Amino acid sequence: MINVLFFGPVAERAGARQISLDFREGLRWQDVRDTLRARHPEAFEIVSIVAVNGLRVSEQDTLPLADGAEIVFMSAFSGG
Amino acid sequence: MIQAVRLQTEDFSLDAEVAALRAASKRIGGISTFLGCARDFSGEREVCEITFDAYHGMALSELIRLRDEAIAQFGLIDARIVHRLGTVRAGENIVLIVVGAEHRAPAFDACRWLIDELKARAPIWKKEVTPQGESWVTPHP
Repeated sequence: MINVLFFGPVAERAGARQISLDFREGLRWQDVRDTLRARHPEAFEIVSIVAVNGLRVSEQDTLPLADGAEIVFMSAFSGG
Repeated sequence: MIQAVRLQTEDFSLDAEVAALRAASKRIGGISTFLGCARDFSGEREVCEITFDAYHGMALSELIRLRDEAIAQFGLIDARIVHRLGTVRAGENIVLIVVGAEHRAPAFDACRWLIDELKARAPIWKKEVTPQGESWVTPHP
């Protein structure tokens, strides 16, 4: 399984804080984004930061995900 | 000893954090603090309370990394960072940064750097609760 987390304004727009997706070999975080963006377009309008297993990733990071990976799609931070 | 970097729902004590920093070393010649508080207004609106959400694991890791970077970059003797999560009412504390250095200049500089970097790098989001409704805050300088 791939565990997807949402927080703050992204969670509110998605109407969920956690979604599980089936794992398949070769899956990349961009594939997960594309799948979920089609389901929750309003949430992904504000997504600008992505983390895989707690580390920020960029569009250039195309390594396949491992089974059990945690992906977080986040909007710009506003703490402090 | 209370951890030097924490995310917590309960309030914190400025005096206790400064005392903990001072206990770290008698080489400290200057301590600088930044205390972020919840305002009761935002723009033209009254704000009753602010709620904070966070990607806890990554936020804590990032704050620990920031402390390590600040100590190395500014030659600090010690630094402490505490950020509240959950509901914070207007007038209450949100975030505290306390840094100790041999001299005042690096203490001031590190304190400013830490709060600026925290805002940019820690996955924390705040929502203002007003009599007219709630809204997530857009980041600003």
